[in-house]
Amino acid sequence: MTFYSGRSVIISHWERDMKSEHDDLQQLNRVLDSFIISKTIPSLSKLLEEPVKYVIKKTQTLSITNLNLLISDFEEINPMYAVYVKCNGDLHMGVLWYMLEDESRSLADKLIGNSISNKSEKLIISSISELGNMLTASIINAISDSTGYKMGSSVPGFAVESLRILLEATISDFSDQSDMLIASTVEFSGIISGIRLQMLLIQDSKETKKLIA
Amino acid sequence: MNCVVEIKMGELAVVNDQTDELKTFVGSCVAMCLFDIKTRIAAMAHVMLPKKIHSKQNTMNDEAGKFADVAFTCMINKMNEMGADKKRIRAKIAGGAAIFSHESENGLFNVGTRNIAAIKQILKENGIPLISEDVGENFGRWVIFNPHSGEMTIVSNLKKTQKTI
Repeated sequence: MTFYSGRSVIISHWERDMKSEHDDLQQLNRVLDSFIISKTIPSLSKLLEEPVKYVIKKTQTLSITNLNLLISDFEEINPMYAVYVKCNGDLHMGVLWYMLEDESRSLADKLIGNSISNKSEKLIISSISELGNMLTASIINAISDSTGYKMGSSVPGFAVESLRILLEATISDFSDQSDMLIASTVEFSGIISGIRLQMLLIQDSKETKKLIA
Repeated sequence: MNCVVEIKMGELAVVNDQTDELKTFVGSCVAMCLFDIKTRIAAMAHVMLPKKIHSKQNTMNDEAGKFADVAFTCMINKMNEMGADKKRIRAKIAGGAAIFSHESENGLFNVGTRNIAAIKQILKENGIPLISEDVGENFGRWVIFNPHSGEMTIVSNLKKTQKTI
């Protein structure tokens, strides 16, 4: 009898912890949704000169050994053009923006203009980096407006790599404090051009608690 | 059939001659391999960070490879338990790339460089010869280590290169 009683107590604690974690992730989704609507969508829409839609694909708790949860087969084999920005201050988070090469060229066309026909790689890197910088700033501003937290951002780091390597480098940046991270993936797309841009927001779970408090 | 052990991020494995390959994929992280060619006992760690600084930092069993210092101690102890002789142990390393870069600031995303330096320092302090390396640059690598031959093969899908060290 004692065994069953003890087990039911353990299960009850486990269920409560799971429910609490699930509630936190749901709340983070709602908060993130409000940040994106208030600042990021207007910013991206202005930059692309077209309406933009988005979808929060998933928010999940992630162990550092479980990167596979974030990588589709398609993303495994295709190199991505990516920008990573670290945000520090009252909150710490990392924001990775990534897209396929074709989409990065289309984005550069939009940002710089079609008049420059032979855009150098350097010009594309600069324009994509600036885009990542501005969109991350939009998230920081939304957080600041909503919570009063103050944050600064690093210079944007640029890379062309497989998503697995991009994630490894991003997650390494956070894993000195925690083995469990919260990852939110969001896809933005231009309604007219069809250009797609992915965002991955990574936080320590303690930071998430501060954000949704 | 080939027995291949794949090491995930922050993990390590110690194997004997029943294993044909130890395999991992690194960017800014470093694949640290130790091996005793006589007993063919070998270890590979997927090192993410140079040093365990806070005692509260977790190093669960499945993430023993995460910190260079913790990983090294764990690898050496397990290899010794399995019959390797520390005097014969040699090291090879690969990875530690600077994946993200910025045209005007080089020091911001340099965990790869710090990982390499930390591992070299640990090997030096413990008298383990580092006999070959493929480190730095800005791209990810598949690292495949053969415990039978002591050869490390490094493949970059993006650069379409392969080399053995």
